[in-house]
Amino acid sequence: MTDEEPSLNIPSLLTLAVVSFFVIRWFFKSNDGSSAPGGSRGRARGNVVDPAQVEQISQMFPQLSTREIMWDLQRNGGNAAATTERVLSGRGLDAPPPSFQPLVAIPPTGVPAQPAASPTPSKSSGQDLISRYNLSAKIAEASGVESESGSDAKPSSSGGWSQNKEERQRLLQKRRDEMILAARRKMEAKQQSAQ
Amino acid sequence: MSTMTQNRLFREYKTLSTSPPDGITAGPVSEDDMFHWEALIQGPEGTPYEGGIFAAELKFPKDYPLSPPTMKFVGGGVWHPNVYPNGTVCISILHPPGDDPNHYEHASERWSPIQSVEKILISVMSMLAEPNDESPANVEAAKMWRERRPEYERKVREEVRKGLGL
Repeated sequence: MTDEEPSLNIPSLLTLAVVSFFVIRWFFKSNDGSSAPGGSRGRARGNVVDPAQVEQISQMFPQLSTREIMWDLQRNGGNAAATTERVLSGRGLDAPPPSFQPLVAIPPTGVPAQPAASPTPSKSSGQDLISRYNLSAKIAEASGVESESGSDAKPSSSGGWSQNKEERQRLLQKRRDEMILAARRKMEAKQQSAQ
Repeated sequence: MSTMTQNRLFREYKTLSTSPPDGITAGPVSEDDMFHWEALIQGPEGTPYEGGIFAAELKFPKDYPLSPPTMKFVGGGVWHPNVYPNGTVCISILHPPGDDPNHYEHASERWSPIQSVEKILISVMSMLAEPNDESPANVEAAKMWRERRPEYERKVREEVRKGLGL
């Protein structure tokens, strides 16, 4: 009895550890999937239901409830073909548990679900400085007032500094805008004289 | 460490604002993030870049000034042998001393904490005037600069006008 104890303990503890590791991992994985917030993140893992697919399947099989379709799509990772196959084979769809909360990819506006990633790079590329810094209003405003003759494109070198943070920001922006607008005026004058 | 970096960036910002070098405006996009600046550089006279204004983004590492910032032209980039097509500037002052992939830069030209944002911007200005043909970042632009100078200059002038919305 006494020499049986260590030989029983170590391997069984190891087995327990390994088994519980896998159990916990499996538990968290499946839990993670179904509790993913109903946003763009979960879609990549196929756990968020695409309303277009739901619509497509319910048009084919009007007898099915939307909840049943969503439940099946969510479990098979958004595979509409598999759901269709399942219905056609006569097996039918399982009734979702009452606790089932469908994770719909997007509000029903019809916009394709797309994680908000694409609009950011377009801002910085292929854009002139006038639109980048919203200067078109200032150009229109200044078009009546002719700039000083031979407008030296040198930015107003009256250094801008203030103890106040907002004021500093404003001064920097002003120097920046003036630099761009002065260069634009000069270039415009040059183009006109060349014509 | 981070406070030291921020103080240093703030001091540089103040110097650049109170006595800005000719043709340069630079400062943080917002003072809430001192590690992200934007700079305007005027195209040097007597070059095809003359009359243009070039906007660039400067990103400072957490260990600035030990490591140099990165600099990237924004709003369409700049056609230049030493500027990558995506706008990233490739000049020796932006390279840390230990890192010399091309083995042609002198240690003194490279980044060290005694350099500054002002020195970077002035270096970039002279880079615009005098491309370094030895290590082109934009091979196509370098080739055009070497072999078809008039076409190169025409292209740059056109981009200068476009950049100003003309």
